[in-house]
Amino acid sequence: MTQILIQGMLLSGLYALIAMGFMLIFSIGRTLNLAYGAYLLVGGYVYFWLCQQMGLPQIVGFAGAVTAGVLMGLLKHRLIVKTLNGDHVAIEISTLILAVVLQAGVVLLFGDSSKILLPIVPGVVTVAGAQVTFNILTATLISWAVIIGLYLYISRTHTGRAMQAVSMDAKGAALSGVDPDRINLITWGISGGLGALGGVFFASYTQLYPGMWVAPLIISVAVVIVGGIGSILGTLVVAHIVGFMEVGVSSWSPELRGVFTMILIVAVLVLRPQGLFGREETH
Amino acid sequence: MLVLEIENLSAFYGKAQALREVSLTVNEGECIAIVGANGAGKSTLLDSIMGLVKTRGTVRLHGEDITGLRCAQIVKRGVGYAPERFNLFPHMTVRDNLLVGAFTARNEIAKNLDAVHRLFPRLAERENQETSTQSGGERQMVSLGRALMSSPNVLLVDEPTIGLAPKVCGELAKVLQRLSKEMGLTVIVTEQNANFAISLAERLYVLEGGRITAQGTAADLSKDDILAKSYFGA
Ligand SMILES: Nc1ncnc2c1ncn2[C@@H]1O[C@H](COP(=O)(O)OP(=O)(O)OP(=O)(O)O)[C@@H](O)[C@H]1O
Ligand SMILES: [Mg+2]
Repeated sequence: MTQILIQGMLLSGLYALIAMGFMLIFSIGRTLNLAYGAYLLVGGYVYFWLCQQMGLPQIVGFAGAVTAGVLMGLLKHRLIVKTLNGDHVAIEISTLILAVVLQAGVVLLFGDSSKILLPIVPGVVTVAGAQVTFNILTATLISWAVIIGLYLYISRTHTGRAMQAVSMDAKGAALSGVDPDRINLITWGISGGLGALGGVFFASYTQLYPGMWVAPLIISVAVVIVGGIGSILGTLVVAHIVGFMEVGVSSWSPELRGVFTMILIVAVLVLRPQGLFGREETH
Repeated sequence: MLVLEIENLSAFYGKAQALREVSLTVNEGECIAIVGANGAGKSTLLDSIMGLVKTRGTVRLHGEDITGLRCAQIVKRGVGYAPERFNLFPHMTVRDNLLVGAFTARNEIAKNLDAVHRLFPRLAERENQETSTQSGGERQMVSLGRALMSSPNVLLVDEPTIGLAPKVCGELAKVLQRLSKEMGLTVIVTEQNANFAISLAERLYVLEGGRITAQGTAADLSKDDILAKSYFGA
């Protein structure tokens, strides 16, 4: 029981970080970024390449992974989202294709066998009889720090408030002197960085393999659909619901791990389409 | 001195044309009104000045051609806009709405916030209320306040009297007059309510079907019953 509680807590923090980047794009750019998982994929592999193949220090690995994620986000906005200018179906299809292409690229560069990412911090600690790796503990603590930083950024800075403004009323934002296009670009960059960072942790928690972009994407979609758009708090709470559910279910029946997440998505879509914490769209 | 010159401005929504060769000029510190019925093109004209609509023709601000600039750049050059539907940020507090308005004038937040609160004491009392829960009159105040937070020298106000009680309209007229007389702002107001427009503006333009059909002082226009004619199609 304690094991489930502690593992659930830790995994949920990581899920919250991963879902946060997806939520930002969904709320502010109003785009379902189906290539979001690709940031995690690229982040994980860049870290692996820099630290385990090149033997560079971990901090370089993190910086490299996050930079790659940010660049991917910026490029995706400039080259795809802006070019397709609000055509949501086209954006979703092309982002999905992009993820598949990136997966093929990873196979080409690193082969399609899975790789073990060495623990970011090795070691195990026993908390209340439960075994906790320093690795996931570190991942969770950093995730929380980043989420709190993100919250402060969005609620306290001019750019952060402008991000909220664009998500609530793009015309109102524009005539307040905010350039919605620039804010979108910044959001895509932040989202990419968050995804890539989450990818390093996710890979070190599971494994590094070319198809690793799918599971986190489904988790992110679930968290955002269930949590409702535009809510950091909703994202945080629902990431914990999903995280605990997965840990709980898999301790009982590992095969069913993802199934309950799917059931949750469908149930919320049917019963409360704006999400548990979402607001009715006001127009 | 000319603050705003609009020359042969036409505006399009896809193929539909909403403005036809509109020309007008506004002097510094002047308060002018654009009157017209529903669908005359009043909102389109103000949106076009802000670069929010596809247009042909020229708009000059303080002599500089601003045609084709993006909205944010036009705000930066000193144009504030309180639109017809307010376009507030519904799930933000009054204070945060005003702070977004200060996006391009971050060094003047204290001064502008103080001015807005003096103009609308109610906004100071309701600082932490979400604007989605406010009344129409209060939202109008937030909308005007947000526009003033960018330190504008030209203020565009679209149909401010919609849905306001007559008494509140009177207070609003006083606020707009204070802005132009005491604070030296150039004010452009659109209205269907001709009486409100006359009580406020030094000069008026009549907009019909996307065209300017008459212009002049209130006295000029009432002499020939032009305002009445443009409304009743007589
Ligand atoms: N987004 C749009 N797409 C297509 N046509 C539009 C759009 N906005 C306005 N129009 C059309 O342009 C014309 C002028 O509209 P506009 O909103 O500028 O009029 P208005 O004078 O502000 O009217 P009201 O007093 O009702 O606000 C109308 O015929 C309207 O149908
Ligand atoms: Mg209008």
